Amino acid sequence: MTTSPPRLRKALLTAHVTASVGWLGAVAGFLALSVAGLTGQDPQTVRATYLAMEATGWFVLVPFSLASLLTGVVQSLDTKWGLFRHYWVLVKLLINVVATIILLLYMQTLSSLAGVAAESTLDLSGLGDPSPVLHAGAALLLLLVATTLAVYKPRGMTRYGQRKQHEERMTAQP
Amino acid sequence: MAGLPRYPRSSDDAGTETGRGSTTGAPRWVKVLGIIALVLVLLVVVLLIGGNHGPGRHMS
Repeated sequence: MTTSPPRLRKALLTAHVTASVGWLGAVAGFLALSVAGLTGQDPQTVRATYLAMEATGWFVLVPFSLASLLTGVVQSLDTKWGLFRHYWVLVKLLINVVATIILLLYMQTLSSLAGVAAESTLDLSGLGDPSPVLHAGAALLLLLVATTLAVYKPRGMTRYGQRKQHEERMTAQP
Repeated sequence: MAGLPRYPRSSDDAGTETGRGSTTGAPRWVKVLGIIALVLVLLVVVLLIGGNHGPGRHMS
């Protein structure tokens, strides 16, 4: 496996950490908005939170999630950690893929809620929805697990990783 | 220490060391995480079947 020069490798790592931690922070902000939207009493404030959530979703959460996934895959393939060799990398990949898919699917619901909020009527009956809080809470939990795995890198090689390691040892021997 | 299997350090974000720590089967933390994930997935499935949850439910 060929790896990129140290400077490029650092830049790739910086991009991945920025995208991933940015995603985590954006989800925390989204969670605050969703709680404000669920518990708010002032119609204008509640409507504003749903409009802000939709904008945050499309312009912050979705780009950060895709960037995190892309940079994570590139980063893992460019290092000795690999994409399928170590369990912690594999679990992080699964978390990233699942969270991104659910986010993209949920954006439909969020756009609909924002559509209701954008209507001129002050009727808030369609907005008392706990789903943004539930989705943001679950996403925050998943991303915290992923961040913990990235920092601690718990031991454990997959069967594929062990096989590749064995092959590399065999080729390295004279 | 000679004789002990080497494993990349957790501080080695760039993965410059070769991973030489071999294990047999999935470690305990993977199994625990897998069980928790399975329970959560089942919970979500029950909610999806039992309630009117899911993407696009506000489309109508």
